[in-house]
Amino acid sequence: MKIDRRSFLSFLIGGAAGTSLSPLPWKLMDDSSIWTQMWPWTPVPEDGAISYVNSVCTLCPGGCGITVQKIDDRAIKIEGMKQHPLNDGGICMLGLSGLQLLYGPRRVKTPLKRVGTRGSDQWMKISWKEAIAETAKKLDEIRSDNQPHDVAAISGSDRGTVPQLLMRFLNVYGSPNFIRTPSIQDSYELTLRLMQGNQSMAGFDLENSDLVLSFGSGIVDGWGSPVRMIRAKSSWQRSQTKVIQVEPRLSNSAAKSDQWIPINPGTEAVLALGLAHVIIKESLYDSVFIENYSIGFDEWKRHVRDEYRPDNVGKITGIDEQTIVTLARTFARASKPLAICGKGQGSTPGSIGEFMAVHALNALVGNMNKAGGIWAVADHKYIDWPEINLDDISKNGMSKGRLDGAGSKTYPFTRYRLNRFADAVDTDDKYPLKMLFIHDANPLYTMHDTQQVQKAFAKIPFIVSFSSYMNETTQYADIILPNHTYLERFEDVPTPTGIPKPVIGLVKPVVDPQFDTRHIGDVIILLARALGGNISAAFPWKNYQACLQDTLKGRWQTMIDNGFWSDPDFTAPSWEASFGLPSEKFEFVNSDTGLMPKSDLISIEGDEASYPLVLVPHDSIRLAKGFVSDPPFMVKSVSDKVLKRDDLLVEINPETAKSLGFTEGSKAVISTPKNKASVKLHLFHGIMPGIIAMPTGLGHEGTDEYIDGKGVNYNRLVGPVEDPVSGLDVAWGIRAKLSKA
Amino acid sequence: MKKENKHSKFKKYGMVIDLDKCTGCGSCMVACMAENNVPFKQDESDKLLSITWLRLFRLTNDKPFPETDVCYLPRPCMHCEGHGGHSPCVSVCPSTATDYSKDTGIVSQIYTRCFGCRYCMASCPYKARYFNWWDPVWPDGMEKYLSPKVSPRMRGVVEKCSFCYHRYQQARDKAYMQGKPDIEESDYQTACAQACPSGAITFGDLNDAKHAVYQLKKDPHAFRLLERLGTNPKVYYVSSREWVRRAGDNYLKDEGRLKKAVH
Amino acid sequence: MDSALIPKGVKRCPLWQFALFIGAVGVVLAWGVYAMLLCWFKGLNQTNMNDYYGFALWIWADLAVIAIGGGAFFTGLCRYIFGKDELKSIINYAVLIGFICYSSALLILAIDIGQPLRGWFIFWHANVHSMLTEVAFCLTCYFGVLTIEYIPLLLENRQVDRVPFFHHLGHNMHEIMALFAATGAFLSFFHQGSLGGVAGVLFGRPFAFREGLYIWPWTFFLFTWSAAACGPCFTILVTKITEKATRKKLVKDNAIELLAKISGWMILTYSIAKTADTWYWATVTAPSKGLTWDFFYSNNPLYGKWILFTEIILCGFVPAFILVTKKGRKNVPALWIAVTLAVIGVSLNRWVMVLQVMAVPVMTFDYWAMYFPSWQEIATTILPVAYGVIMIAFSHRYLPVFPHEAELNPVEPLPSDEEQLAAAVEEMVDVEQELKPAEA
Ligand SMILES: Nc1nc2c(c(=O)[nH]1)N[C@H]1C(S)=C(S)[C@@H](COP(=O)(O)OP(=O)(O)OC[C@H]3O[C@@H](n4cnc5c(=O)[nH]c(N)nc54)[C@H](O)[C@@H]3O)O[C@H]1N2
Ligand SMILES: Nc1nc2c(c(=O)[nH]1)N[C@H]1C(S)=C(S)[C@@H](COP(=O)(O)OP(=O)(O)OC[C@H]3O[C@@H](n4cnc5c(=O)[nH]c(N)nc54)[C@H](O)[C@@H]3O)O[C@H]1N2
Ligand code: SF4
Ligand code: SF4
Ligand code: SF4
Ligand code: SF4
Ligand code: SF4
Ligand SMILES: [Mo]
Repeated sequence: MKIDRRSFLSFLIGGAAGTSLSPLPWKLMDDSSIWTQMWPWTPVPEDGAISYVNSVCTLCPGGCGITVQKIDDRAIKIEGMKQHPLNDGGICMLGLSGLQLLYGPRRVKTPLKRVGTRGSDQWMKISWKEAIAETAKKLDEIRSDNQPHDVAAISGSDRGTVPQLLMRFLNVYGSPNFIRTPSIQDSYELTLRLMQGNQSMAGFDLENSDLVLSFGSGIVDGWGSPVRMIRAKSSWQRSQTKVIQVEPRLSNSAAKSDQWIPINPGTEAVLALGLAHVIIKESLYDSVFIENYSIGFDEWKRHVRDEYRPDNVGKITGIDEQTIVTLARTFARASKPLAICGKGQGSTPGSIGEFMAVHALNALVGNMNKAGGIWAVADHKYIDWPEINLDDISKNGMSKGRLDGAGSKTYPFTRYRLNRFADAVDTDDKYPLKMLFIHDANPLYTMHDTQQVQKAFAKIPFIVSFSSYMNETTQYADIILPNHTYLERFEDVPTPTGIPKPVIGLVKPVVDPQFDTRHIGDVIILLARALGGNISAAFPWKNYQACLQDTLKGRWQTMIDNGFWSDPDFTAPSWEASFGLPSEKFEFVNSDTGLMPKSDLISIEGDEASYPLVLVPHDSIRLAKGFVSDPPFMVKSVSDKVLKRDDLLVEINPETAKSLGFTEGSKAVISTPKNKASVKLHLFHGIMPGIIAMPTGLGHEGTDEYIDGKGVNYNRLVGPVEDPVSGLDVAWGIRAKLSKA
Repeated sequence: MKKENKHSKFKKYGMVIDLDKCTGCGSCMVACMAENNVPFKQDESDKLLSITWLRLFRLTNDKPFPETDVCYLPRPCMHCEGHGGHSPCVSVCPSTATDYSKDTGIVSQIYTRCFGCRYCMASCPYKARYFNWWDPVWPDGMEKYLSPKVSPRMRGVVEKCSFCYHRYQQARDKAYMQGKPDIEESDYQTACAQACPSGAITFGDLNDAKHAVYQLKKDPHAFRLLERLGTNPKVYYVSSREWVRRAGDNYLKDEGRLKKAVH
Repeated sequence: MDSALIPKGVKRCPLWQFALFIGAVGVVLAWGVYAMLLCWFKGLNQTNMNDYYGFALWIWADLAVIAIGGGAFFTGLCRYIFGKDELKSIINYAVLIGFICYSSALLILAIDIGQPLRGWFIFWHANVHSMLTEVAFCLTCYFGVLTIEYIPLLLENRQVDRVPFFHHLGHNMHEIMALFAATGAFLSFFHQGSLGGVAGVLFGRPFAFREGLYIWPWTFFLFTWSAAACGPCFTILVTKITEKATRKKLVKDNAIELLAKISGWMILTYSIAKTADTWYWATVTAPSKGLTWDFFYSNNPLYGKWILFTEIILCGFVPAFILVTKKGRKNVPALWIAVTLAVIGVSLNRWVMVLQVMAVPVMTFDYWAMYFPSWQEIATTILPVAYGVIMIAFSHRYLPVFPHEAELNPVEPLPSDEEQLAAAVEEMVDVEQELKPAEA
């Protein structure tokens, strides 16, 4: 065969054309493109009918309205509810991530009984029948021994029907030991109690103020009802309200304020009293209020005049004298000034001295129960259940006094002291604790000196958790009776913290329960039934929903329709009707106790020689630090200046870092009198020299693989410091040192 | 300057983000992830491997204590128009997997067309494009929340902010069903703008005088990122702080005053 | 054993030695293939690339092998179009090296894309505005050309050539080689250029961006130029290394010298152009974007001003001056140094135009991104080297790659049994052919 050019070319062209005309290459190409779009392991969400459900988010105390978008029976997106009085469409990261909790790996899917050692995460699935029977049997045993006070409950809240049912159950059973987790709500309640005689929450009419002075409150970092606060902040921009932030670190709140005044941490009370000194000295106060509606002013005035001269205050607070004087004048001359306190997100109570001092500032400018001022908001009036009848066992139990010493002679006005509880359990000093219920709380993560609390919990023979999610405390339970999540249940959400006008939200089931869970309210009713007698009689409702409907009465239908009930026309009572003390006035010096705004400086643990630095926490709205920790989306959004792989970064001033021989990203060991931890350093000019700020909300264990083991839990490094007046743990930091890793 | 006023039927969707309002809360980031089926992994702390269609940058003036200042800057895709629709990324994509729509001004991304060469990523000075280095994996059961309106992306393709294009489609359908000639401003809002608690993000048609963005972009303090490159972005920022505005672009030392944003 | 396959008149090492060598290189090859499979099956998470470094080691390797593979088209151009017959001695080898470089480039591209099975979208959904589209088309076509240029050499294997069909096929292909050389040169001009355009059009990246002519940024021309200039140096370098390895002279001096001389002048003119381009970029382009040139060479641990010096002076003007002088290119150590520097220079240029572009922050609040390749990236980048060595080893052993090898290394024909057998077979075939009447 001889090939000439023609046959050669025909060979080439023919070969190419033949192959390409055959279906083979085209089929293969087509297949490859289709197949790479339909890898079976890449999910293809099913389409369906769209619907929307209005409800309330309960992932923090903020009480935001949410609108959940659904496709058939799946919830696919949570959005802020438009027209809601608190958040009007706005929503925080945690609220947005709610579906990752609903469908996520940290759910407790059925009742569980612990089989391994505490914390080893070994469980046995049991039926609801068994779980309730076992819990009831335990309760019955304790009661038969005439020891009902040996049972306690820790709850994230004491307001709303669910915590109230739990409290009611405990009381009728015979235990005074219902404990709410601590927050600045305790400090504000106590302050209002002492100075105004109201059992109320503090409400802040922030949107109508024209000057906001914040003593470290994280206005945009999750303080109060977080979304409402951010919205208020935006409204100030329109109304040209001035915001002044006093704190040692340039937090996001400080960065968003008009003026940032760095202060030596822990000296806020002294500054407040220094401002009072100037205001009084220059007669800038509201004389109408002071003269007609207050008592004890003269006594307190003498104290303030002698002790808090600006030069002294300047030395203690580290703020220049002139700044103090100007600040006092600016505050007093504003037409609707408002001072607020409670550091960061407000999850640690503050000293009563400080809270009373800041409250006194508000009193000086007469902004009590006025537009733009601080309002005393009376509690959950809508819950109006029949009285309970106690049998002898219960009476006996209730007379035993609380384990945590709250309400005792030493701390007459303090309602709950979870900080003392752990100690009391550990030392058995009053009576031993035999059984504990946990609801919406994670004390094994959130309490200072966590390891000590853990030790105490290890001694409790029987712990029952209602948690929907696994977390540090759930891991310590003997039995878990998992509650529906907030997207699967009904519940009322009473006026959230800091909101001046009543708003009650209604949590509604958005989807059917995804797992074998039960409403905590139903479980409480079932337990009561199992125990019988007076206990059963105290719960006359068929089930929780009947109880809720019965409680909300006429509001029910509105709430079903709108998702909330509110009273926009509500106004605070006049000064004549505001004060519940025998004097019927605002008391600068409480006439019962002689307590007045003073700076009992709370000194933190550790001596300066061994621990030259000061460690303070720093809260971020991107890090949930309550009983719910960050879902995956939130962890994803945490900055690499906060978390790098599993390492936490603490903030330090570049000068301080340099003097210690550290640079950006250095590894270090941080030691405090309580504990130590390996961290990395992030150099930040916006923090006072000599101070280290540690992000809170990290360092979790036993939750899920997306958050466990990341970073360090701040609470493990800090010990409790008791406030002499309230007996609450008010530690705002701890002394620390850094050494090379 | 004002030729866009001539009742052009072309829309030019864009944003004005008020950095004075933005608190760095990050709701916009997460709203976007939740809206657009953005995947996540166990470790997301390497931000160069973390898909965030909208990324929040933290800017500081780097002055020593106590003169320090901080500002957050949310960065979605800028939906650059370039010159005549030649966005940096659109013009380079070899397989036409990303496109500039003259009708909406939206730079689209077609995942099933993209073959993962990453040239578009190299072209984007805002680093707004993200590659799927891994298969997206949701923990067991979590696929339930995935939205059918936005398809989950497969490994090996690039993704980025779409200005929530599916919401545009929905709004367009709604307008059509109601027999309206045009989409209402409130009917097409992005997930990030909607979620923002501080109201920092305003979204709308930059060509339409009735839309809020039309006026807001004319704020004397408005600027765009890296305008000097000629990317012609459609996201405007507003800041009352000079150092923040200056951080929006590169300037030679002797360049004193800032140029005003070109509209 | 394999002597029947070895070209006539040349000497090759014993088979066991050859097998040992191939085995050793094969291990490296297998390592690379393993890494490649990991990337394909597990995805690009096997690399250390990230969203800032979307283009990294591989794209550099691609650009670099294509640049140094430029010896093929440029030598072909000189040999077939400009009629430089001295280059006959080296043209086959230049084509082989080019073939290796381009097939490697295509392989790396196939690993580098996130969706290898959809790689053909680049043709199917082609965007004519994209430099990468132009690259893909020209690269693929040119690879076709190189294949066509390499096939005749394959057909010249003693046993293959014996098959009349292949013999004539080879003959025909040789005749039209000038056509392919011209096509190749044309295609090369465009794809080398569009590779330069890939970086140059990035107007969002002030470090890479260049003004230019019509749609072509200056980097378009600079890339073609530098590939034409430095590609032949790589051909010379590989030839010299092969000569060292085989301990034989394979190419005539006049061929090397001519190629070196042409290369020298090309590098010199290229370096002048590159200097002018850098100058314009530093004084006009970068400042117009608000940036001074030294910004791009400071505040980071790697990309310093040393790069500019190394690329333009040390690896540009220095080899150029050596090669343009007769003394320089005739001096063996100097020639070695010059071609090595030139190859480093063009590779460094490609590195800078890819990796440094990715590293530089553009937004003022962004940061320099540093990157170190993963072992999988390194292995797959070494894979083509191993593949190239094996290709060269086989080609050299069994194909008459160097037409003047026999002439330069005369061997005494050793009449062995095998040789005789082979000769007999050859005779028989010839006879057979004669017996058959011509069909065509
Ligand atoms: N309402 C409305 N209707 C329209 C249009 C509109 O704009 N609005 N546009 C019209 C036009 S132009 C078109 S092209 C069609 C498109 O209509 P469809 O083809 O229905 O397109 P989509 O709704 O985008 O996607 C369909 C489904 O594919 C899933 N999917 C995503 N990625 C993949 C994948 O890789 N593999 C597989 N198997 N599934 C995947 C998605 O999750 C979604 O459930 O709709 C037309 N109809
Ligand atoms: N994020 C995201 N991006 C996507 C998709 C997605 O699902 N998500 N889908 C992709 C798909 S499948 C498609 S088809 C594209 C659609 O993308 P486009 O093709 O951009 O679709 P439209 O926005 O419908 O654009 C059509 C335009 O034509 C105009 N028009 C309508 N009728 C006429 C007419 O008679 N004459 C003229 N001249 N103009 C007319 C309309 O006003 C509108 O501006 O989007 C793609 N991009
Ligand atoms: S602020 Fe609190 S209540 Fe509101 S959405 Fe966020 S987590 Fe939910
Ligand atoms: S949601 Fe709004 S306030 Fe929060 S970070 Fe985004 S733009 Fe800023
Ligand atoms: S921001 Fe980046 S991805 Fe978005 S359009 Fe501009 S260049 Fe493209
Ligand atoms: S990665 Fe995808 S979208 Fe980007 S340039 Fe390549 S093919 Fe186009
Ligand atoms: S516009 Fe939509 S896609 Fe873009 S960042 Fe906002 S939410 Fe994400
Ligand atoms: Mo379509």
